[in-house]
Order: sequence, then structure tokens, then C-alpha cells
Amino acid sequence: MIDPAGLVSHASPAYLSDKTIAMTPATSSQPLPYLGYGLGLRVDHYEALLANPGNVEWLEVVSENYMVDGGLPLVWLDRFRERFPLVMHGVSLSIGSTDPLDEDYLARLAALAKRVEPAWVSDHLCWTGVQGINLHDLMPLPYTEEALDHVVSRVLRVQDTLKRRILLENVSSYVSFADSQLTEWEFLAAVAERADCLILLDVNNVHVSAQNHGFSSLDYLRGIPASRVQQFHLAGFEQGEHLIIDTHDAPVSNAVWDLYIEAVRRFGRVSTMIERDDNFPPLFELMAELDHARTLAEPLLQDAA
Amino acid sequence: MSSLQTIQEQMLQAVLAERAAKLRSIRSDDIAGAEDRLSIYHHGYRVRLRDALKNEFTGLQCMAGRRFHALLDTYVKAHPSEHYNIRWYGADLPSFLDETQPWCDEPQLAEMAYVDWAVSTAFDAEDERSMGMADLSAVPAHAWANLRLSMQKHLRVLTVTHNVDAFRRAADSGAKRPHLRRFVHARRILVWRKETTIHYRTLDRDEWPVLNAALGGETFAAMCERLADHHDESTAMSRMVQLLQRWLETGLIQGWTTD
Repeated sequence: MIDPAGLVSHASPAYLSDKTIAMTPATSSQPLPYLGYGLGLRVDHYEALLANPGNVEWLEVVSENYMVDGGLPLVWLDRFRERFPLVMHGVSLSIGSTDPLDEDYLARLAALAKRVEPAWVSDHLCWTGVQGINLHDLMPLPYTEEALDHVVSRVLRVQDTLKRRILLENVSSYVSFADSQLTEWEFLAAVAERADCLILLDVNNVHVSAQNHGFSSLDYLRGIPASRVQQFHLAGFEQGEHLIIDTHDAPVSNAVWDLYIEAVRRFGRVSTMIERDDNFPPLFELMAELDHARTLAEPLLQDAA
Repeated sequence: MSSLQTIQEQMLQAVLAERAAKLRSIRSDDIAGAEDRLSIYHHGYRVRLRDALKNEFTGLQCMAGRRFHALLDTYVKAHPSEHYNIRWYGADLPSFLDETQPWCDEPQLAEMAYVDWAVSTAFDAEDERSMGMADLSAVPAHAWANLRLSMQKHLRVLTVTHNVDAFRRAADSGAKRPHLRRFVHARRILVWRKETTIHYRTLDRDEWPVLNAALGGETFAAMCERLADHHDESTAMSRMVQLLQRWLETGLIQGWTTD
């Protein structure tokens, strides 16, 4: 790590220190590996990626796409598993929902993790539905003590079921709540510390939310404990009339590259990935973006070393 | 009720409502008002569900043409998603079209949707072993009369009164939209997966009663009897062998038992 001492700018605030976490042996685990530079695996790139993996060192698969009974998705998954280190990234855990955790979902997620043996499993710090209805969106939470207690207890449950620590990703958001008592980064840091989980920091999402809510993206980075950051996402967005829309369907913007440099300075060597969810370009374009990430990060990391 | 629960339920209702509302729990600021902010989730919800349906119902899109979006909108409005995986959102669309005005006045739409959904569910259904000719040759001669076949569990047979398979084929190949034809007699379309490839075809007129008997767990002797309506004794057995060969070659049979 480049600057571990300066990473946590807050001196043990109340929301971190007033709870004692009793980690179970099942989830207290070894440090997770550093994987290098990777891509989100998408159907459009299946064949090209197997034919020529190029500079892609690891892949992130969307868990739900493979939580199926059989058929082609699992055939492809097994092929990639033979060739690349994999991590699993879910969109439907709904860790912040006030509905009960979906036991069927958890069982299928656990079964998939057993099959894939991923380097890690991640999802989002959000809720996706309530009252049994799924909005299929990453809905932001109010950053309150009540929501914090709720999320922490559920992360502990999930980690116990999966028998591993999970990563939670910060989401892009368009609304904030009058009830919020904490900043988003205080809330994310507190969840990670209290539940002993890790953080998937989406640099694009930090930028999008900072622009949409008028906070400093650098303050955000300063508020995240470095020891918790296990993975970066890099992605693109669309500029709306008043708000930035997180589309993940465009190249990484200059503003996000700049923020990535700050993130590397702050968090050091972190497994980094380009995440494209739509408007898929030819694979070589994503590989070029990966090379750009490498070009930006490696000199900083070598200087620090 | 906790304030977290209240906020989530209010936000859910605001997203599901026909028009994006303003919620007091959401902040407005100089960048954007609460209503504009919420409208992004409101709009995104409908786009995502429609996109999921477009992926699964390509034959229906080909058949409905310009009315496809209106059809999807009525379904999205009537059916919130209840499954964690958006891939399953379309499960009720075929029955919705079967029962809801004005779509139920055109039964070909529901027929097409049932075929599309059968294709979709076969795609990632559980892997099953396909039995080959060599497996069946192990059946002792005396046991044939009481032989029962186990067909692939994901296999679906759908009754249609229109040439819906032509629309699905056009959608799959990018060919020109075919003309709709109504059949004098209903036909049956078989949808199944062999290894990782999805297949669909119209069953021969004499094939359906036999396949239905096989699916119902009836004996080989009973299956042969089902050919009596279409064949005399001299041709029934050769036709039965022909059907068995076809089913084996195309991976429809996963096993057999004898009493």
C-alpha cells in the first residue's frame, strides 16, 4: 500500500467504535489475492476472449447469469474457469432491503460459489426491492444508524452462509434522503468495519454520485479505509440534463481516469477491472482501456515501492 | 414500521406508479429537484423490464411488429417483477396474452409467446443425458412390451392454430416477417434442447399421440396402439421404429425402464 497511514482520516467515529464484531471462524479468512487487470465477462466477448485473452488477467462474472440449472451458460463458465481466475459479482442480493434475505437466492449463490471457487464474491450496497417486488435496480439507502445496523446484521448472515467475506460495491445514485445522518463514504466504511467485509470501489460510481449530489470525490476516497478495498471498477457514464446517468455503456471518461489515479495513490495495488454493461465495443477496445489503466497505475505503484 | 421500511415502501410505490411522484423523504437541491431525481428510477425500471422481455420474446416481437412495445407496456404495468433474476420476468407473459383484452382476441400472440418462453426455459434447463441407439439395444427382447421411456424433462409440446414457428424462425435468422396463416386443424410444436442447441419442430400428425403416451409413462405396447388411428398393423411397427430412431437421434429420450 502506498499511503496506509493517511487513509482513514476520521479518528474512530462513534458509528465505528460502539459495536463489537464477533467474527466467526468461518468468515475470518486470509487476505484475498491481487489479480491484476481484468474485465467483466459478457456474452458478446466470449469467443474473442477465449481465442485471444491478450492482456486480460482475470474475469468477473455476473453471478445471476450462471445461477441456472444447466445449458450453455454453465458450459461457457466452465471454459472460462479453466483459463482465468474468476470472481463473482451479483446484482440481486439486496443486502439493504427490509424484506427477509431470499434463502433460495442465497442457496443458489452458495452453490455457484462452490462450483466456481471464485477469488471472491461481491454485490452492491443497496436494496433492489421490497414487499416481494423486485425493481431490478440498485436503489440507494438512507445513511442512518438504523440502516447501518440492518445492513451489518445481514452482511454477517450472508458471510456466514457463504463462509467467506464478501465485497460490497458503492452504487451510483440520483437521490439522497432527508433522514441521512452519515455521508455515503462514512456509511460504506462503517459497514465494512463493523461487518468485517471488503469494498469493491467503483471509481465511476464515486464520480457519478459526487457530481449528482455535489460532494467531493476526493473526500469520498479519503473516507474509505484502505485495508478494506479489494477491487476497483472502472466504467463510463452519460451526461444528462442535470444529472449524470450511470450507464456503464461508454468508455471510461477523463474525469474517472483522473480519479482512478487518485485512488491508486490512496489505496495502492488493487485488482482493477473495466466494467461494460451495454453498447459493447470490440474486445480490443476494452483491452486498450485496460492497458491505459495499467499505464496510469504501474508508474505510481513502482514509485511507491 | 421502521423508517427504513417506510422509505423503501414509499420509493417502491413511487417507481411503480404511473407517473413519477415527489417524495418528502428525498432531498431537492440546486442540482436537481426530488421529482427529477426519482424519475430516473421510474424510467429505468420500465426500460429494464421491457429490454428483458425483448430478449426472450423475439418471435412475438416479429409477429406483433409495431404493436410490440404497447403489448410490453401493458404487461409491465400489470405485472411487477417478483423474481430476483430479471431473466424470469416473462414467465407470465404468455398467459397474460391468453387472458387479457385486446391481446386475447388474437390467439396467435399467446401461442407465439408460449413457444418463445419454451425456447427460453429450455436454454438453461437442467442438463440431462441423451440416450442413443446403443442404449436401447440393451433392452431384452421379452421386455419391449413393457418398456417405458423417460423423455427429457425440459421438453415442451405446445398446441398452435397458427404458423407461429415461422415467425420464430424468421426472428432467429433475420429473415423477412412471414404472413400469418391459420391452420384448419390445430398442430403441435415440440421444443427441446440437445446438448446446448435449442430445437423446435412441428410434430407429425401421427407422432403426437405416441409422444403423449411416452410422456405419460405408458408402455411401448400402449404407444404402438396409439398408431392404430393412422396405420394398419402392417405399417404401424415400422412407423414406430422410425419414430423411435428420430427421437433417439435428436436427443429426446433420456432413459428407459421395464416393469
